[in-house]
Amino acid sequence: MEREEPGQRETAAGQNRPDANERRSGYLGFVAHEVRNPLSTALWTAELLTRMSPEERGGARGDKLSAMCLRSLSRVRQLIEDHFLCERLDVAGIPVRAESLIIGEVIDGLLDRRPGDSPPVTVDLEGPIVAAVDRSLLERVIDSLLAVAGSENTPVHVIARGGADLIELSFSGHPPLPGALEDPRKGSPSDPKGRALALPVARRVAEALGGNLAVSDGRYVLTLARAATYTPQPESPAEP
Amino acid sequence: MTHPLVLVVDDDPDILDAICDILEGEGYRVARARHGVEALERVEAEPPAIILLDLMMPVMDGLAFAQALRERPGKEGIPIVVISADGNPQRAASVDAAGYLAKPFDIDALLSQVAQMTSSQASA
Repeated sequence: MEREEPGQRETAAGQNRPDANERRSGYLGFVAHEVRNPLSTALWTAELLTRMSPEERGGARGDKLSAMCLRSLSRVRQLIEDHFLCERLDVAGIPVRAESLIIGEVIDGLLDRRPGDSPPVTVDLEGPIVAAVDRSLLERVIDSLLAVAGSENTPVHVIARGGADLIELSFSGHPPLPGALEDPRKGSPSDPKGRALALPVARRVAEALGGNLAVSDGRYVLTLARAATYTPQPESPAEP
Repeated sequence: MTHPLVLVVDDDPDILDAICDILEGEGYRVARARHGVEALERVEAEPPAIILLDLMMPVMDGLAFAQALRERPGKEGIPIVVISADGNPQRAASVDAAGYLAKPFDIDALLSQVAQMTSSQASA
């Protein structure tokens, strides 16, 4: 076995740094591109509304522009929330609070809050499955996977299974693209609903929860540890 | 008098709706396409006075569309204004564009470009 010379590891890391920087630059370029589209629509429609007379603003065109403006701002909000969650998770800055949650109830709660035009979701649960995880992060990862599996209004099928040590949630629907779990880069496909960062969020949240996200047989498979093996970070920074 | 036809090509449906609303409000006739293949069909149906072209689109992107357009006799001179969120004006040069608008651009900047190009075509 060859012995590693002092400085050899640092040199290798240094050689990898340009690649990492390039990937990060490409990712941030993609994020900027995704935000600019709905931001454009929000600004244009708001400006058009201000240019209209009060009578016209109260009419059909005003209603249409108002709806577009709100929809676009919702997309911007989603992208910004997803982006900053990714950034915070990358620097381990999220405090987590584990609580016992029934997976089926969490999914039902999310489905109840989804917009009316969301694609249909069917859920198969193998009995009541309880996990000790952070509720908001669990909701974020499930919501993100429902969004990507439901791309282009594809019906989604969720199967939840509980094993001795692990919980497995599989999401089938819109088939994952090659390299789906890699961070998108400039030129990656856009998402007209503002969910272009859903998979980067899902992957990071799965890891933050001590689990894993994978693609298998055309499905997204989220694996989480059972309650006994889940331990929240003891020295999580306090929320500002 | 027939108002000039503007073809807007973008895969984002809200962007398409908003730009079409802006242009129709100024009296332009507007055709829309979600990608390059649809855009070529629109050009064949009725050649527009100007094309507002996004670059990153599925099916056929803006670069491939521009190349295909330049190879079509009688259509190669239609001016293209790139409308892009990628923040890189150099991309406009790669499609030999007559103009470049970086999203989010001002409404008046859009109307100014369209007015300038449609009027210069009318006087040509």
